[in-house]
Amino acid sequence: MLKTTTTTRPRTLDELLDPRLVSRLTQLDVSSRKVFAGKLKGERRSKKRGESVEFADHRPYVVGDDLRHIDWNIFGRLDRLFIKLFLEEEDLSLHIVLDASASMDCGEPSKFLYAQRLTAALAYIGLVNLNRVTLTALGAAAGGAGGDGGSEGDGGPPRPAPVSESVIRNLRGRRRVHDMGRWLCSLTPGAGADFTEAAKRIALTRTGKGVMIVISDFFLKEGYEQGLRYLLGRGYDVFAIQTLSPQEIEPSLGGDLRLKDIEDGDLAEVTISSALLKRYKANLSAYCDELRAFCARREITHITVQTDTPVDTLVFEYLRSRGLLR
Amino acid sequence: MTWLSPILAGAAAAIAIPALLILYFLKLRRRDIEVSTTLLWQKSIQDLQANAPFQKLRRNILLLLQLLVLAAAILALAQPEIDMGVGDGQRFVLLIDRSASMSARDETDSRGNPVTRLEKAKQEAIRFVDTMREPGLFARDRRDEAMIIAFDTGAEVVQTFTGDKRRLRTVIESIEPTDAPARFEEAARLAGAHAVTVFMEAVGLVTEAGDPMYIWSDGGFPDADRVSVDPSTPVHYRSVGAADSVNFGVTAFHAERAFDAPERVSVFVGVQRVGAAGGGGEVDVEFAVDGLVSAVRTVRFPETGSDAPASEIEAPRPSGVVFRLDRLEAATLRVRLLGQDALASDDTAWLLLPPARRLSALYVAERESMLLEAVEAQELSRLVSASPQQFQRMADDGRLAEFDVIILDDWAPQTALPRGRYLIFGAEAQGLRGLEGMGERVEDPRIVIDWRRDHPALRGVSFDNLYIASSSTLQLGESAVTLAESDRGPAIVEVGDSGARAIVTNFAVLDTNWIWDHNLVIFLGTAIRHLAGDGAAFAHERLTPGAVLSTRLPPGASDVELTLPGAERISLTPSADGLVNYGPIRRIGLHRLRWTGVPGEADQVVDGRPQRTMAANLLDPYESDIRPVERLELATRDIESAPGEAGPALAARSLWPWLILAALGVILLEWFVYNRKVHV
Repeated sequence: MLKTTTTTRPRTLDELLDPRLVSRLTQLDVSSRKVFAGKLKGERRSKKRGESVEFADHRPYVVGDDLRHIDWNIFGRLDRLFIKLFLEEEDLSLHIVLDASASMDCGEPSKFLYAQRLTAALAYIGLVNLNRVTLTALGAAAGGAGGDGGSEGDGGPPRPAPVSESVIRNLRGRRRVHDMGRWLCSLTPGAGADFTEAAKRIALTRTGKGVMIVISDFFLKEGYEQGLRYLLGRGYDVFAIQTLSPQEIEPSLGGDLRLKDIEDGDLAEVTISSALLKRYKANLSAYCDELRAFCARREITHITVQTDTPVDTLVFEYLRSRGLLR
Repeated sequence: MTWLSPILAGAAAAIAIPALLILYFLKLRRRDIEVSTTLLWQKSIQDLQANAPFQKLRRNILLLLQLLVLAAAILALAQPEIDMGVGDGQRFVLLIDRSASMSARDETDSRGNPVTRLEKAKQEAIRFVDTMREPGLFARDRRDEAMIIAFDTGAEVVQTFTGDKRRLRTVIESIEPTDAPARFEEAARLAGAHAVTVFMEAVGLVTEAGDPMYIWSDGGFPDADRVSVDPSTPVHYRSVGAADSVNFGVTAFHAERAFDAPERVSVFVGVQRVGAAGGGGEVDVEFAVDGLVSAVRTVRFPETGSDAPASEIEAPRPSGVVFRLDRLEAATLRVRLLGQDALASDDTAWLLLPPARRLSALYVAERESMLLEAVEAQELSRLVSASPQQFQRMADDGRLAEFDVIILDDWAPQTALPRGRYLIFGAEAQGLRGLEGMGERVEDPRIVIDWRRDHPALRGVSFDNLYIASSSTLQLGESAVTLAESDRGPAIVEVGDSGARAIVTNFAVLDTNWIWDHNLVIFLGTAIRHLAGDGAAFAHERLTPGAVLSTRLPPGASDVELTLPGAERISLTPSADGLVNYGPIRRIGLHRLRWTGVPGEADQVVDGRPQRTMAANLLDPYESDIRPVERLELATRDIESAPGEAGPALAARSLWPWLILAALGVILLEWFVYNRKVHV
């Protein structure tokens, strides 16, 4: 609710992720309800038949097939040539969109810090499982990370990142963990960005399919619906993690106040009364329900998390139970 | 419920309530707080404001409490009163008896301490004032007003009509008791003087009902049957005093020298007892001469054995005691009743005994008559018979002052009478104030039909057998006092002033059968004694508290100082003819006048300055009869005492102090609520 008063920001990955948590995170992997085609061979079953050790099917031999895949046992019994098909294992594209707008820099504990930790944990899991991890911070301050161009792994024409977005693309493998950590630590919440536009840009930029995790409070005056639709449209398996501070859920305000929106400076003069607080809570609940219903209709997994929930609890219990991790 | 200033309160409400609401709308004292988003707040406010513009104020307990405070204050401004039937402001006349009997200490206050009747009356009067209707803030006419009259023998408006309760209380508190006997006539007249007389067409002058009178007294007005109060004027009487009080009082104190042996003085003391019926008792009477106690005698009141219950009060029982004294010189006599009783001011009396002396007289006649023989029968130290020529010479030589009384027998000088005391038979004298002339003597038989039996000059004289053959007509001024009246007009008058004073008859003694009547000798004795004593008569005259002390000092008296019984000294300025006035006298006791100049005939000289002593005594059987009267029997109607009667204003009780109190309470509550509410 209120702007975070403690301004210390994490400087290293160790400050974001507890080493004990890190050791436990290595047991997890990102899962997806959909099986996507990856670009590189990875540790994930693909729809494509490929060269993994896992048998998938047989088919009759046609000229040009790799003779190494002929099932000689069947040829011995049936005297016909069959090709053994194996399931291809591919890498998974994991895209984490982190809301770095000023509204996230509120609450005790800070929503932004919480989102940073969660991002770090999820990205770490993705990296150690050889998934392709792309991180986007929406609305980060211009003086923050900026586009980390050097980390764009798949080449392509370099595009100037919008001022309000900071992206680090296509990280893969454990050795990129520290790049990811540096980038996360360099983020500063900024004035905020147009979520719809940003989502549209992300959807257009992104070619592959995979898992998309959006971490935000979803307090978006312009609405979150269109943005989420853009993201879904590209075939992503989208997870929406809504972070709320305890002060937003149970405001402890009193008296005659002038509330200032930290992002757009909008003013609301209120006289706190029990009726108003009741109405506020009802509205918050309705807002979250609306988001949940919207997500449910579009097969987006929605999770609301309060920032005083420990990150490991969130990761090992909530996210696993909701099928994001396994 | 009555509202004293509803318009004012309405105006205040019309201004203050909208102002408070506007202040609430415009209230700028908000704390700035940055929040992650105003999205939900705006929505919540819109929800709450959806119904009406006043939704913002709904359930705002602070505003509600402030409105309550404001409402209480405005209601207080309107000055509501609970009334029980009384309309607009009334005027009351409060009469408080401060006479001697009100000093009787037989009442108790609210805490049971003994107090005097006057203190009790004052407490009740103050309670009455307390319950009077308060003035409206801007409607001063709707309050009660009261006038306060304190009365004893006379009456005094100690406070004219006012609604200022503090002032009324102060004035009531300041009423002091006096030793004067109570008379009600003047008080009733003063109280009724404010009744308004209006002229109504076809009816004439109509006196409106006077203001309600409230009387605190123990009653016992000897003049009650002469008091008439307008029948339409409400009169409330509050009797004070306990009925079972026992009081002994001196009601008479008189001294007389024996006719033949002037040094022998008989002193008569009348004592009266008032108390429970049938009860007896005794009282010691102390007799003192010049401050030294010379005798104590006991006066007994035997038990009457009456069948009346002891709670009933019997009529006063008089008794008396006689003291004897041998004294030629002047003396100050004092009697005192020893022992405690309800009333102290009637327990002591003083008497100034004049020195014994014989008088000298000058008899003037053209021809000595048998009247001279009657004069010679008087016990005189010196009697000189003179012709008119000798009188004239003596007057020219100033030797007339040697004689106490000058008797003019059928002759009077044509010029104004010189200074002196005269007894004039059948002659027209000049220069006497009040005697304007005397007609021709006419042969016309007459008898005396009435005379003043109580006048000192006629004491013991009877005119029953007097037959007047010829007489003149007296033309009298206002100051003349008629002593005896014949069937055709005044026959014997007293005229003159402090210079020349005379008792004048309109007939010559020889024209009557008086010369054969022993009453002539008695008349000459009393008249000569009266005239001769006249110069210092005031010294012996009875002076009563409540009356004005008025005495004539010798010419040239200056630096006059009056010492009151309480040793208080007052400077007085005599008028041109030596008259000094002080009063009314409030306390019994000796009043001493001292001055610089020559002493009068009966005056003492103390420390080189003349001194005249006057004794003020109560000596009033009515006042010593301290039985509280429950029923005032006035000439026009009877009034019962109603001690428990409600004041005016049990009928009107102001509520505004309670409203202010409520407002303060709500402010406290608001403070509490505010502190509970404002925390982040």
